[in-house]
Amino acid sequence: MRIVSLCRGTKGGAAIGRPVSASYKVLLLGRTMASISAVTRFDFLVIGGGSGGLAGARRAAELGAKTAVIEGKKLGGTCVNVGCVPKKVMWNTAVHAEYLHDHEDYGFEGSHTKFNWQTIKSKRDAYVKRLNNIYQSNLDRAKIESIHGHAVFTNDAEPTVMVNGKRYTAPHILIATGGRPSIVSDSEVPGANLGITSDGMCAPYTSLPMLISDDVLPPHIIVGMCAPYTSLPTLISDDVLPPHIIVGMCAPYTSLPMLISDDVLPLPHCCLLLIDSPPLLLPQGVKQDQRKHIVADEFQNTSRPGIYALGDVCGKALLTPVAIAAGRKLAHRLFEGKQDSKLEYRNIPTVVFSHPPIGTVGLTEAEAIKAHGKENVKIYTTAFTPMYYAMTARKSQCVMKLVCVGREEKVVGLHMQGPGCDEMLQGFAVAVQMGATKADFDRTVAIHPTSAEELVTMR
Amino acid sequence: MRILKPAECWTPKLRVRSFGNNNMAALCKGARRFKRIIFCHSLVRGFSGKYEYDIVVIGGGSGGLACAKEAAQYGKKVAVLDYVDPSPKGTKWGLGGTCVNVGCIPKKLMHQSALLGGALKDAAKYGWNVPHQPSHCWATMSLAVQNYVKSLNWGHRVQLQDRKVKYFNLKGQLTDGHTVIGTNKSGKETVLTTQDIVIATGSRPKYPVHVSLTRAVAQYLFLFFSEIQWSVDYDHPLHPFPHLLISGCLHPGWIIRNPNTPHFFCQHPQVPGAVEHGISSDDIFWMKESPGKTLVVGASYVGLECAGFLTGIGLDVTVLVRSLALRGFDQQMAGLVTEHMDSHGTKFLWRRVPRKVEKLPSGSLQVTWVETSSDREEQDTFDTVLWAVGRAPVTRALNLDAAGVKLDEDTGKIIVSANEETSVPHVFAMGDVAKGRPELTPPSIRAGRLLARRLAGVSTEIMDYDNVPTTVFTPLEYSCVGLSEAEARRLYREGGIEVYHAFYKPLEFAVAQRDSSQCYIKAVCLRDGDQRILGLHFTGPNAGEVMQGFALGVRCGATYSHLMNTVGIHPTCAEELTKLHISKRSGLDATVTGC
Repeated sequence: MRIVSLCRGTKGGAAIGRPVSASYKVLLLGRTMASISAVTRFDFLVIGGGSGGLAGARRAAELGAKTAVIEGKKLGGTCVNVGCVPKKVMWNTAVHAEYLHDHEDYGFEGSHTKFNWQTIKSKRDAYVKRLNNIYQSNLDRAKIESIHGHAVFTNDAEPTVMVNGKRYTAPHILIATGGRPSIVSDSEVPGANLGITSDGMCAPYTSLPMLISDDVLPPHIIVGMCAPYTSLPTLISDDVLPPHIIVGMCAPYTSLPMLISDDVLPLPHCCLLLIDSPPLLLPQGVKQDQRKHIVADEFQNTSRPGIYALGDVCGKALLTPVAIAAGRKLAHRLFEGKQDSKLEYRNIPTVVFSHPPIGTVGLTEAEAIKAHGKENVKIYTTAFTPMYYAMTARKSQCVMKLVCVGREEKVVGLHMQGPGCDEMLQGFAVAVQMGATKADFDRTVAIHPTSAEELVTMR
Repeated sequence: MRILKPAECWTPKLRVRSFGNNNMAALCKGARRFKRIIFCHSLVRGFSGKYEYDIVVIGGGSGGLACAKEAAQYGKKVAVLDYVDPSPKGTKWGLGGTCVNVGCIPKKLMHQSALLGGALKDAAKYGWNVPHQPSHCWATMSLAVQNYVKSLNWGHRVQLQDRKVKYFNLKGQLTDGHTVIGTNKSGKETVLTTQDIVIATGSRPKYPVHVSLTRAVAQYLFLFFSEIQWSVDYDHPLHPFPHLLISGCLHPGWIIRNPNTPHFFCQHPQVPGAVEHGISSDDIFWMKESPGKTLVVGASYVGLECAGFLTGIGLDVTVLVRSLALRGFDQQMAGLVTEHMDSHGTKFLWRRVPRKVEKLPSGSLQVTWVETSSDREEQDTFDTVLWAVGRAPVTRALNLDAAGVKLDEDTGKIIVSANEETSVPHVFAMGDVAKGRPELTPPSIRAGRLLARRLAGVSTEIMDYDNVPTTVFTPLEYSCVGLSEAEARRLYREGGIEVYHAFYKPLEFAVAQRDSSQCYIKAVCLRDGDQRILGLHFTGPNAGEVMQGFALGVRCGATYSHLMNTVGIHPTCAEELTKLHISKRSGLDATVTGC
């Protein structure tokens, strides 16, 4: 997909850019030459066409701001291209592998299946492509300028960005460039360069079929390897999680080789190394922390006025919905005058699409004890085999934990792993955010027969 | 064991204990006399406060067992009576009630089996080479389901034993507010005296059976129905004849179509052959052979769930609908559910009422029905006819008249107060058999537990029946909590509510290229103030798992802004609820695009 980079500084500019005629080329050339000295002005300039940037840009445009989005690659960012979306497609693929094991137990006969990596890859890529196009048309519909190219901050006194030799500025510039997978160096882990990252996994890699076939690696491991979520080890360290998930988590990468060399993971052909995602763009006068994340306050302000940052580039809560919400809140603050519009970073629900998935919101048990004292924390747990497995030879547990605080037993944390936990968590996150107590959980009538009902029937 | 058995010798121990029972020897002299004596003695016992049991629960289903176990935990002496009358087809089952044996559990497992059938089709799109579409073996599935159900039956027995609850496989009957007579299969009676009685006998499927009425009764019926003529419907019971409703599950909508016609009995007969040749949800889960080509009569949630999983495992299924699908649910959502089923192979015949079922020499069943608007008769042959035309409370054998327990004339259900008490002190009723209670397992369980705590004197909390969430496990699952849009409109007027909605595409549908036009979310909120949520409705995969947490939120008084202020979980279906931003009255396109 090519995006013709054109500015719409003048009123007539909107009409330019579709038919490639001789006069258009002349015009384009003329503009290019002119733009070397001229600066195109917007109300809102967004660097990075990912979840957060696009959400902020669209909301700003809705509120009447003249907005542009600069993106050097495909629209949609990590989430759509190399993150949530292709990840979950692969996760669903692996879920089908689980189902295939269960078909006979449920009465289906004669389903002997093989896996074809190319099929799912082409379907997945087609879907991602479709999303890219949807994003483009969303921008077009909202009359947001799409600027294709790599943005670099200039040394001008006024914050200015250079893309393909052209200069753009705005009173409000948002950095939402996201992150990339960290690469483990060979000196840290010998042989690390033989691995690929999540970007490679989801993008053009074609040598994985060996890996996903059952005899090399049970399919449930392969897609479990994600999530640079720092509080997860705490959750996992409770003896509730089966070992293959721990292999999947791979948060502290130094222990990864050891884990892999274990007989849990017999000689993988390809190992996914997924750790963290430091930012790429380095704007002038904007403070960064030691890990090169941009320092932004709760209102997404950086240390330089007029420049804002959100999403993965800030290194906090690396999640699409967080970036989307932050982008929208910022747009409301800047262009609707809602001074206190900011994202609440507490109680952000997260699902790790391992097999089975993990859902977590709020404080872990250890965090709650640290914050409130051991005597004020009450833990409710349950473990059961979901009814789905009543029929199957293959079994998997569902584990749940409520972290409650104080005499009124306010639920400050909810953690679970099991089939369906991915879809279960959202509603509970609303309730935890509202300050629900254990008594509120108890008073809620269950939905039978589900796994989620166990959360409101814990004793 | 301290059971009073009239025909047996009296042990001195009991005589000493029940000091008011000094002329109990007379018990041997016949049931009538016996009952009278019991009545006298109940007065005496009332003063002495001595009973064999603290609580006797009649009905070992979800509610009854929960109540019994909870009460026993608080040190009460409890007995449970459970007895399953075989269905007309002869199906019977063990302890645990409808949910475990012929309801929630087997239906969800079979639903799951059907979902796996759908997953097989998707698997190919996900890169799995499925060489040929596998066939489904009913016997394998039903055996696995039945074995699991039997393990649950056993589990309930063990739990009762562990908690020292006495279990009797007896059919319970009241003589007064403190005495229950249990009858076993061979008619032998056992008498239990108790401080409190809890009736939790549940309900059973209705059949459209023939009930012969005298001319006088017919005229009385005519008088009654001529007042309300066309509002007579499936759910409308025979007002002046609750006992008919109870005994025969009589269905007025089928007997009297046009009450102004003098010969309405001849013109609109009941359904001959319905009982002999038909089955109900009591039978379907226990069939050893595949039901084959099936006609489901009725589009209640029971009917749709059965039709859904039968279609899903590859059977030819037709649903005969008289007027509405999923009566009582939000009708927009009901429309989406049936539309989805329709597009996945379940055939719907609307505005049809069945007339007769005949067995052909080939063994298949020929069903005749009438298209109500044109009065045209149509017929087709099926292997199985499944009646899903509603459920009737099980009260007939309880001898409630004698005990003075009042029934609701309209529904035949037991009239109860907010604390589950009937018109007779110390007699309580809960679950499907009690009037105005949701016919669902979880509220019954909770109501049973709370009742047990009140009876044990450890709590005064009464069950709150508002905002009960529920899920319909049709192929496209539908879950809801709170008010339907129509109810909300009625209660708060058109201008009082704001409905936010979205048509979303589940990610799992995208790659599988499944049509997602019925995946829909609707939040019915108050329009003013902080926009408190009145009702939430969701169709899509895992609807039950999605809704539970939101039901908790609604119980806590969640508002629209609470939804908006919660960060989504990406990519899930549930997150779409936190992204609702198009109001229905804005008229804008509610289709979700992008992340």
